[in-house]
Amino acid sequence: MEADELLVLVAGGDQKAFEELYGLVCGPVYGLVRRVVRDPAQSEEVTQEVLLELWRSAARFDPARGSALSWVLTLAHRRAVDRVRSARAAGERERREALRAGTPAFDHVTEEVEAGLEREWVRRCLARLTALQRQSVTLAYYDGYTYREVAERLSLPLGTVKTRMRDGLTRLRQCLGGVA
Amino acid sequence: MSLLDRLLHREGLHSLAAPYALDALERAERHRFERHLANCGRCAAEVRALCEDAVRLAWSAAAPAPPALRDRVLAAVRNTPQDPAPTGRNTPREPARGHASRLPGHVWGTEPPPARTRAPRSRPLLVPFATATAAAALVVAALFAVQAERTRDQLDAQRDRAREIAHVLAAPDARGTTGHDARGHGLGVIASVAEGRAVVTLSGYPSPPRGRVRQLWLMRPGAQPRSLGLFAGDTPLVATGLGRSAVSLAVTVEPDGGSVQPTGQPIVQLALKSAGFGE
Repeated sequence: MEADELLVLVAGGDQKAFEELYGLVCGPVYGLVRRVVRDPAQSEEVTQEVLLELWRSAARFDPARGSALSWVLTLAHRRAVDRVRSARAAGERERREALRAGTPAFDHVTEEVEAGLEREWVRRCLARLTALQRQSVTLAYYDGYTYREVAERLSLPLGTVKTRMRDGLTRLRQCLGGVA
Repeated sequence: MSLLDRLLHREGLHSLAAPYALDALERAERHRFERHLANCGRCAAEVRALCEDAVRLAWSAAAPAPPALRDRVLAAVRNTPQDPAPTGRNTPREPARGHASRLPGHVWGTEPPPARTRAPRSRPLLVPFATATAAAALVVAALFAVQAERTRDQLDAQRDRAREIAHVLAAPDARGTTGHDARGHGLGVIASVAEGRAVVTLSGYPSPPRGRVRQLWLMRPGAQPRSLGLFAGDTPLVATGLGRSAVSLAVTVEPDGGSVQPTGQPIVQLALKSAGFGE
């Protein structure tokens, strides 16, 4: 069964359907959270929160607004970003990480994880962006920085960063072939 | 605030679409942007597309989750109650499944669709006279069955509509066609070329978000889309004045009261060729 159908069953309290859904989403969710949060123990914690939230709020899913997988990943990304920002605010994040964050994220997160086909495509397409587009997109998405923080790090005006983010995403879409 | 200020303010908010899609707004700014989104069809469609782009970035990060996580999550799920379904959907994202806010010609039937379109699969289905009549009987019965508590006026309106529907379904040249989107939601049409009318039903769609309605449009070559009316719940809509040149029908989600022209991409579109139109 597909994630969309499973999620409808989950909304009705079907635990078996949730187990099946878990199998579909745990890898993408964990991988994304890990990429943003970095710390394995914290990543597991956030992943668990996201999956529980998926169970709790399944009824809020509206298929007219997109696929179940997009919904789950959007949720996961927001939780991961929240975690990394509060950790940063608390000064937990190490300074050397902040320093190396000025380079494109996909270059330095080479630990773990297998290279899937999608990953390879995204990587290639990211490489086709201009350096500023790529850095604006990846510092925000993979490192959890706000666009103001990105602007500071790259010493660019706010407007430029917003434009680079938009152009970066749009070019990525063209490169990846439009519709997901 | 002057008009110019207001326009500048709006433009400022529009430019936050990409940072929003990347979750790169601070909390307060995010809330402000979401409030704006609820009233801005143009940016809602754009945000939707940008969010889908961002999700592509998410996919590429997939990694095997630690095996122990599964047991912990499933155990937690057994002990966690679920939230009830929301009564009204007031979330800001546009329900239309569009990618671009500017609508390409093929979407509105003025050009043939490209091969890689997401337009619904159209499954032509000839409705013989007897079937159409049986369907008419069902529709009429259903319409009257639920009306016991309605006021006199509403009842009269419903009866008129039922009569109109029966009229279309009973036309000797009545033919049907249905289309489904990738999720199995459907648009069903029974139309009569001679009458220039069609009975149109939507099936499987959840209620539109609060403050929005589904609007039906007629697509003709070289002409602007023409509104055929608003859907009220599951009630079939009777579309009139369909010329032979009618190419297709489309449904969009619009602000309450409907729009003069579509503001988003169709959630479902259906060619009328198999119902005898499109000449």
